[in-house]
Amino acid sequence: MSVNEMARMKFYCDDDRCIDCNGCSVACAEAHELPTGITRRKVITLNEGIEGKEVSTSVACMHCTDAPCEQVCPVDCFYIREDGIVLHDKKTCIGCGYCLYACPFGAPQFPRDGAFGTKGAMDKCTMCAGGPEETNSIEERELYGQNRIAEGKVPMCAAMCSTKALLVGDAQEVSKIYRARIAAKGKGVQSAPYGWSKAYGA
Amino acid sequence: MANTWGYGAMTNSLGDIQNAKAIIIFGANPAVNHPVGFSHFLKAKERNNAQLIVVDPRYTKTAAKADIFAQIRPGTDIPFMYGMLHIIFKNGWEDKKFINDRVYGIEDVRKEAKKWTPQKVADVTGVSVEKLMQITRVYAKSTPGTLIWAMGLTQHTIGSSNTRMAPILQLCLGNMGVEGGGCNILRGHDNVQGATDMCCLSHTLPGYYGLSEGSWKYFAKSWGVDFKWLQGRFKSPKMMSTKGFTLAKWYSGVLAGRPGEDKIHNAGTNLKALFVMGNGITSIAQQAKVKEALDNLELIVLADPFVNEAAILTDKKDDVFILPAATQFETSGSVTATNRSAQWRYQVVEPLYESKPDQEIMFELAKKLGFYDELTKGMLIRENKKSFKWPEDATDEIARIIKTIGLTGWTSKRIKKHTDNWHMFDEVSLRGFGPMKGEYYGLPWPCWTETHSGSPILYNIHRPVKEGGMGFRNRFGLVHDGVDLLAGKNSAPVGSKVKGGYPEITAKNIEKVLGIKLTADEKRRIGKNWKVDTSGIIAQKCMEAGIAPYGNAKARAKVWTFPDQIPMHREPLHSPRPDLVKKYPTYKDKPNHYRVDTKFMSKQSEKDWSKEFPINLVTGRLVNMNGAGMENRASKYLAALSPEMFCDIHPGLAANYGIRNGDMMWIYSPEGTKIKVKARYSYSVSEDRVFLPFHFAGHFQGEDLSGRYPEGTKPYAVGESANTVTNYGYDIITQIPETKGGLCRIEKA
Amino acid sequence: MKKYILLLLGSFLLASVAYAADSQIWGEMRVENILAYGKEGSLKLGSLFTMLQSNYFAKIFLAILVGVPSVFLLHYLVIGPKVFSHDGKKIYAFNIFHRIVHQIAAISFIVLVPTGFIMTFGSTFGGGEFVRMMKDLHGLATVTFAIVVIPMFLMWLKNMLPTFDDIKWMMIVGGYLSKVKRPVPAGKFNAGQKAWYWFATLGGMVMILTGAIMYFMDFNIPMINEVTGLSQIDLLRASAILHAVVGFVIVALFFTHIYMAVFAIKGAIHSIITGYKEEEEVKILHSSWYKKLKKEGKV
Repeated sequence: MSVNEMARMKFYCDDDRCIDCNGCSVACAEAHELPTGITRRKVITLNEGIEGKEVSTSVACMHCTDAPCEQVCPVDCFYIREDGIVLHDKKTCIGCGYCLYACPFGAPQFPRDGAFGTKGAMDKCTMCAGGPEETNSIEERELYGQNRIAEGKVPMCAAMCSTKALLVGDAQEVSKIYRARIAAKGKGVQSAPYGWSKAYGA
Repeated sequence: MANTWGYGAMTNSLGDIQNAKAIIIFGANPAVNHPVGFSHFLKAKERNNAQLIVVDPRYTKTAAKADIFAQIRPGTDIPFMYGMLHIIFKNGWEDKKFINDRVYGIEDVRKEAKKWTPQKVADVTGVSVEKLMQITRVYAKSTPGTLIWAMGLTQHTIGSSNTRMAPILQLCLGNMGVEGGGCNILRGHDNVQGATDMCCLSHTLPGYYGLSEGSWKYFAKSWGVDFKWLQGRFKSPKMMSTKGFTLAKWYSGVLAGRPGEDKIHNAGTNLKALFVMGNGITSIAQQAKVKEALDNLELIVLADPFVNEAAILTDKKDDVFILPAATQFETSGSVTATNRSAQWRYQVVEPLYESKPDQEIMFELAKKLGFYDELTKGMLIRENKKSFKWPEDATDEIARIIKTIGLTGWTSKRIKKHTDNWHMFDEVSLRGFGPMKGEYYGLPWPCWTETHSGSPILYNIHRPVKEGGMGFRNRFGLVHDGVDLLAGKNSAPVGSKVKGGYPEITAKNIEKVLGIKLTADEKRRIGKNWKVDTSGIIAQKCMEAGIAPYGNAKARAKVWTFPDQIPMHREPLHSPRPDLVKKYPTYKDKPNHYRVDTKFMSKQSEKDWSKEFPINLVTGRLVNMNGAGMENRASKYLAALSPEMFCDIHPGLAANYGIRNGDMMWIYSPEGTKIKVKARYSYSVSEDRVFLPFHFAGHFQGEDLSGRYPEGTKPYAVGESANTVTNYGYDIITQIPETKGGLCRIEKA
Repeated sequence: MKKYILLLLGSFLLASVAYAADSQIWGEMRVENILAYGKEGSLKLGSLFTMLQSNYFAKIFLAILVGVPSVFLLHYLVIGPKVFSHDGKKIYAFNIFHRIVHQIAAISFIVLVPTGFIMTFGSTFGGGEFVRMMKDLHGLATVTFAIVVIPMFLMWLKNMLPTFDDIKWMMIVGGYLSKVKRPVPAGKFNAGQKAWYWFATLGGMVMILTGAIMYFMDFNIPMINEVTGLSQIDLLRASAILHAVVGFVIVALFFTHIYMAVFAIKGAIHSIITGYKEEEEVKILHSSWYKKLKKEGKV
């Protein structure tokens, strides 16, 4: 691992542990007082009810390396922090939706505010790191929700995860925990966690 | 449970599940109902390679994490477990030494198990022979194994047999009293264990003291009130020792006397008033009856932080009072976790607006009724005070009086210390370290003395009594049918002065059993037996001798006072299998069952219910809600996860009725009631059953009542209550309703 | 006409109703969308869009924005405009209905194209309030264009069908590469105008449709998904790609159209204002039509 990756923040959801409780999603909505209809984080379940095949995992913005959203934005409202957190400026955003088309995870969402379905500025997971406004200001809170990272706290979703399936933090720390869990299982090599390669490359 | 080995509570702890090599779950869905607690299950899988076995009528979220899943027909857990025992006995996989030393009455079980061949079990339960064999082999061979259950096992007419059957299975495998073993019942709500311990029940006094005159006298003395005065509060001395109504059948107390209603024995009167504190009575069975009863009451008082939907359900316009009660965050006190651990809950904010904490509402009521002084006197006695401090003095009063489950050590000071230092305890063993060394987190009861460590694992003889060790409780006498009921040789807790079994300790036998001499002063102060010895002498002496005050006896597989001495399979009152109803009929009707003549046989044999109502009906919880869902549905974000009442239905079954995913459908019950809900296709239910969540209210039999909410109180989600269509049927011992196995008929709306 | 407006309003209304239904992007579909992204055998529209949008679209638009006018400037300087006598007789070419429809479309385009460019180069304008306003304007102009696009399509359809003249016209590039006034083979509309007509109407409809899809984003009209065989998110991606690609052509032709009307043929623009074309202009540039008119005795 290169030096750059020392403090690279990543999300990781352990689908062996995720039980589709949606605690992450509710905690997120509650913490950031999101309007109904906006779900920054969501638990998705595959093959629900089918014996031996049901799998759940929690998805939000993965804060990808080479974030596609940032590449396609016509107004360049995205910015990537040194720790890899992908944020955007809602005041610059024009709500065109291009980031959504580019996103592999369906993360960007658009509140339907005005008449005739006018879409407002894009909203997505900030990894609880707020936005470009002054840190922990009222304005930042209103536009982006809490800035827990600035307060040295873990993002709300991971803090509330009932089974600690959802981990977030420095890539090395996260993969250390992930590897320890796999080692404990003693079942040999397992494939990378879901979405990991899509978001962070190989 | 209590009738098997002494206490009816989770024997181990959630953390201890991490020590298990196998976990078998009957009728519980911890992934949904105990999401945080379920992490211990997942860790057991992860770190211990534990095999997770789920036996459930539905492929639940818990089942999704299972290594083996068996889809059982509702209400057939007993045949399933007998099937397991059949295989276990046949292969000699049982723990013979454990059974010999510590269990009574297994021979009868052995005989019954022999009848349940895997083929027969497969026919009754719907689980294949191969799967039963596989589960039995895995579970019997991977010890220690822990057995988990919740309402899926208890809410049946044979619930009390189910809850004896599971312990028998564990006893046969020697899984009791060991780390990673035990019978672990998951309590469904915050502090349910505490509420039960403190007797939010109608058939005991706090601490499970019975209703006998002796118990009442003990309490009268401990509360500092006159026994005669106490007795005078009742209509007659006889009523003082009579069990009350249960939550499940209170409506009969109102409706009795009407045509078709069950008769009651309530000293000649019907119930006239209802006072509800924090109970979503829309989550209890027979909703139509509940509504009728509410309509016919003279007075309804509902004290809740949110609008109790009983007020919405009833047509009654006058004399319905909604009192704003404070939430847990606006008050403080001790709460008891599912594993018998106490925790202190601190107040976060002052009660909002006009809301009042429960105790204040009760104090005000007592003042109006004229017995406030008697009600609160018990809190003053310990330190002979003039006024009490809530809630510390209440907690200390509990510690002073409740000996049966060993709450002596639960002083408010100790409980607070544990909560304040919760980070100094190990999550698996609950052992404290640093300044908390020598104690287990929350002092799981029995915590015999004010210096006792607490007992994280019940009936564990591998530890000294001082450190939480004990045998089974001597509760059912010394001898039965000529067999000694005390534990066998070498089955006493480590460090015990007596090596084998011994009776419960009384003032009479203490010197003999412990081999000590009491001083004259001690003899004067000592209480009659360990349960009423407020002097603490028995507990103290027992600790010194490594003896559990409640004795060391055998667990019993046979309960000779019950209608079924060993658990027997009986079909639910409404069974989809008429052939099996003939073979395994239910009990005779039970007169005066918690004051109500309760129907069993007469209901089951009324007609072949399955003809008209061919589909099994199962109810359960959703992860985002609990109970009647009052507070959850009032939360915007929680309600958004399930904004509408729905019915999980297999696409195959739905297709037979022309119901598309998202269509509205009717569900009819044998009671003549119906609900209109949205169909949700799901493969988690098989084609012979449907699933309903029970957290909704606000609609009744297709009618939208949500206009009745006082302004600004309408929850974000309203819908039909599943309990409008749950069937008649109550347990023979506990009278818990049979909501986990009824019948219904469906129709496209 | 009234019916048509009602129909249009109705469809907007329908779209807003469809709105209330479950999300087609962030609801249950999200799972499938995530799984399908970049999967073998899928259309890979997500990564295709990302690649095109991040590397090419803006550059191509810039090339058109700079390139097309440059070519015309060169043409103007080297070959120069065609000048026809404005003193001669006039030929009535466009009735009032034609002109109103055209004017509405023209105004719409005058708004649509620059606002589109501003969005494309949004970062240059700093995003935010201004670009958002341009985006709203873009949407509004779409509505006015949508109102006239079908009447326009129908009113000129007969004249826009291809003829043999068109091939000949193509061969000599409409005579624009020469300073000599020689009769050019063309009917009422020449091949260049026809091309513009087809792109402006059919292409315009594609633009309206893809634009509307992107604008409404999360609607639930299963028919569209069934007909296209695309999931909602892929429909959006395909729309974005199509909107850009068709946009290239339309913008290029739009510039051409303006150049022709305003610069290349001096005063040609008056014909769509007054309805009258200069006889000389028709004689030279629409020789076949002129012959026909003459035959009919209308000149």
